[in-house]
Amino acid sequence: MSSLLENTNIREEEMILNVGPQHPSTHGVFRLVVKLDAETIVEAEPVIGYLHRGTEKLAEDLQYTQIIPYTDRLDYLSAMLNNYALCRTVEEALDLEIPERAEHLRVIVMELNRIGSHLLAVGSYLLDLGAMSPFLYVFQEREQIVQLLNEISGARLTYNYMRVGGVKWDAPPGWLDRVREFLPFMKERIKMYDKLITGNEIFVDRTRKIGIYDTEKALSYGLSGINLRSTGFKWDLRRNKPYSIYDRFDFEIPVGQTGDCFDRYYLHILEMEQSVRIVEQAVAQIPSSGAILGKVPKMIRVPAGEYYTGIEGSRGELGFYIVSDGKDKPYRLKIRKPSFVNLQILPELLRGQSMANLIAILGAIDIVLGEVDG
Amino acid sequence: MWNWEKTPLTWPHFLVMLLGTVIILLLALGVVTYTIYWQRRIIAWMQGRIGPNRTGPFGLLQTVADVLKLLIKEDIVPEKADRVLFLIAPIIAFVPSFVVLSIIPFTMTHVFTAGLGIGVLLYIGFSAITIHGVMLGGWASNNKYALLGGMRSAAQMLSYEIPLGLSIVGIVLMSGTLDLNQIVLKQQQMGWWFAGPQFLGFIVFLIAGTAELNRTPFDLPEAESELVGGYHTEYTGFRFAFFMLTEYVYLFAMGALVATLFLGGWSGPFLPGWLWFTIKVFLYINFQFWLQASMPRIRADRLMTFSWKVLLPLALINLVLTAVLKVFV
Amino acid sequence: MFGFLKGLGVTLSQLPRKNVTLQYPDVMPVWPEHFRGVHRFIPELCIVCNQCARVCPTSCISLSGTRDENKKMRIDTYDINFDICILCDLCTEVCPTEAVLMSDTFEMAQYSRDNLYLDMKWLYENQLRYEENHPDRIQAAEAEAEAEAEAEKAGGAE
Repeated sequence: MSSLLENTNIREEEMILNVGPQHPSTHGVFRLVVKLDAETIVEAEPVIGYLHRGTEKLAEDLQYTQIIPYTDRLDYLSAMLNNYALCRTVEEALDLEIPERAEHLRVIVMELNRIGSHLLAVGSYLLDLGAMSPFLYVFQEREQIVQLLNEISGARLTYNYMRVGGVKWDAPPGWLDRVREFLPFMKERIKMYDKLITGNEIFVDRTRKIGIYDTEKALSYGLSGINLRSTGFKWDLRRNKPYSIYDRFDFEIPVGQTGDCFDRYYLHILEMEQSVRIVEQAVAQIPSSGAILGKVPKMIRVPAGEYYTGIEGSRGELGFYIVSDGKDKPYRLKIRKPSFVNLQILPELLRGQSMANLIAILGAIDIVLGEVDG
Repeated sequence: MWNWEKTPLTWPHFLVMLLGTVIILLLALGVVTYTIYWQRRIIAWMQGRIGPNRTGPFGLLQTVADVLKLLIKEDIVPEKADRVLFLIAPIIAFVPSFVVLSIIPFTMTHVFTAGLGIGVLLYIGFSAITIHGVMLGGWASNNKYALLGGMRSAAQMLSYEIPLGLSIVGIVLMSGTLDLNQIVLKQQQMGWWFAGPQFLGFIVFLIAGTAELNRTPFDLPEAESELVGGYHTEYTGFRFAFFMLTEYVYLFAMGALVATLFLGGWSGPFLPGWLWFTIKVFLYINFQFWLQASMPRIRADRLMTFSWKVLLPLALINLVLTAVLKVFV
Repeated sequence: MFGFLKGLGVTLSQLPRKNVTLQYPDVMPVWPEHFRGVHRFIPELCIVCNQCARVCPTSCISLSGTRDENKKMRIDTYDINFDICILCDLCTEVCPTEAVLMSDTFEMAQYSRDNLYLDMKWLYENQLRYEENHPDRIQAAEAEAEAEAEAEKAGGAE
């Protein structure tokens, strides 16, 4: 191409384009500086930090129970899972025993929250690609889930429901019946999404064979969750390193085949089905009465040392790493945020792609900026 | 006084023609206003919510409020922009959309229609002039994103004109005339509408028409969530409203064309002609909104491939089949 | 080949269904019992133990009290800086006498930051408002407290 231009006065230069922090498709305040050569992306550099609120630093000054409201606001779409990750780490460090009813309630709310998070991921992915209706449809189910979680915890998005040793409140009377009624409705809607989206040729054309990576690359970048499972590697912390009472439930781990964007979208749908299965079993198995908070010392002091626990968050492995020196406040709290780690593969995936695929690839990685910046 | 085609032009005739133009313009604006309102309503109902229902009874004054808002916005012309072209680009885009309304027979006595013998050809020709307006808008803005968007939009509209035209040629072959009035009469004579025998042409026309109108799934030039803004990035206030007006008048005109060519125009039992016409145009417009609520967007590079490699062969096959059937059957 | 037609069918089938909109300013949402809105405060029950001010993660509660003639602490001022409050509900959890609770007032938009510094008077008025709006919940809470007191007495008597 450049040989043709050698004897002319035409100058070729690369264009730098800024997918700015304010943009409808970047899932939050996320900036991407893209170097373009005509329509092909030569290099892409993500710029993050627009939502940084200093959670890890604030945590050095707060007791463990006081940190829990802050963890709500990390990945604000799956707040229950964040709460649980912190409580789990402290409980492992203190070697506490959790009562049965509390464990079941925890699993129910966590899986309901996972369904809600996947719903929103699917809805906003399709909104980026131009289909405006699925975004509105997912909010109908999400509204029911959020109302259920509102009844049990008191808030719609920032639940602050888990405590070290159990949960805060017991389920109000009739709540479990309402959850039981919600599940068939959810199953029907998943079928509807399959009909509306999965078979749509335009959608398939936009997401098939785009943004492919293999297992080796995924593992070397440290990906987890759906991004890793879409390459065919069966790794789910609920199965491989079981925590809570997940080993009592019968559910499958869906994996993708090719590692492209379509597989990642489809895994969201399949995982929602599996979560519905888990909630069904948990609602059937929950003991009808029991304590909701185990024996916890009055002042929660984690013995000196370093502790790490990772759980399967809705976007990948969510882990809390606590360095403690024996006091009731952590010396250092580091959060292993799945969206932050998953985002690192973006520049590599975008190299050589045309501009039209940028939105499709970014949406399929499924980041939440609250988690990326922290 | 109505048959000005056959008598020489005098002042009363001219005044009546002017009056007729103004009435059609008001009709077109009224249709656009309530098309926009109906779009928001029906897409909302398909999505489980209510559309606008607060401004005025049932929200009927919503579009009026929106247009008023656009009118009172500041009129910004970028400093380095080519001022003359920037100002006339919306006009070049809008005028053809209004002109093509003159060939559509609304009723049997086609009161305000120009009795042109080349009706269909006029439509195709004039709708190509809008593409100039779009390109000029993109170029004159002095904005690299608007230029890219304008070029892309022009390429899209141009390459979908061809299957559009070819699918109409099938109808022309079957009816033997380019005049829209005659085509409607022919359908009434035949007893069934051209959508039946020309089924392939009908499908191609629907798809190419959607792309011509820049509607989902082909609405890349207007996409807010894609990267570069379209050709109307630098336009504010009333000039922006002009581009939007163009799009909706084209929607009405394309609907009228579909109704005339494929669905039998004003012909139909029992009800008066203009009511049948309204029903058919309404059906087409609702189909477009239904499509908008359900489909994602096609990628930019796929757009061209789809037109040249899929629609064009289909239109040609339709043409060949029609010709063969006409000669040998 | 024609998968998108199924999608069109789905959208069309949603048309006759009822809409899910809550027409907000005309129709208020109904909140469950545990809903965490702005606080409400009952000054008579407060024993100035300072637990709520200590547990608050953002340190938005400040209070002061004095000892009265019966050698009991009485509350003088109780302020919540609602600018900073994150509605986490930890303060109501640790209060031993349930003097501070959460109401279901959620419309707290104000024109000036000063109006968001809620003092004891405002919080008590919020309590009165809550009692007016939800007499059934107050009655149920009182009945439960009575039943607990009876059970304790019966247990103590034995």
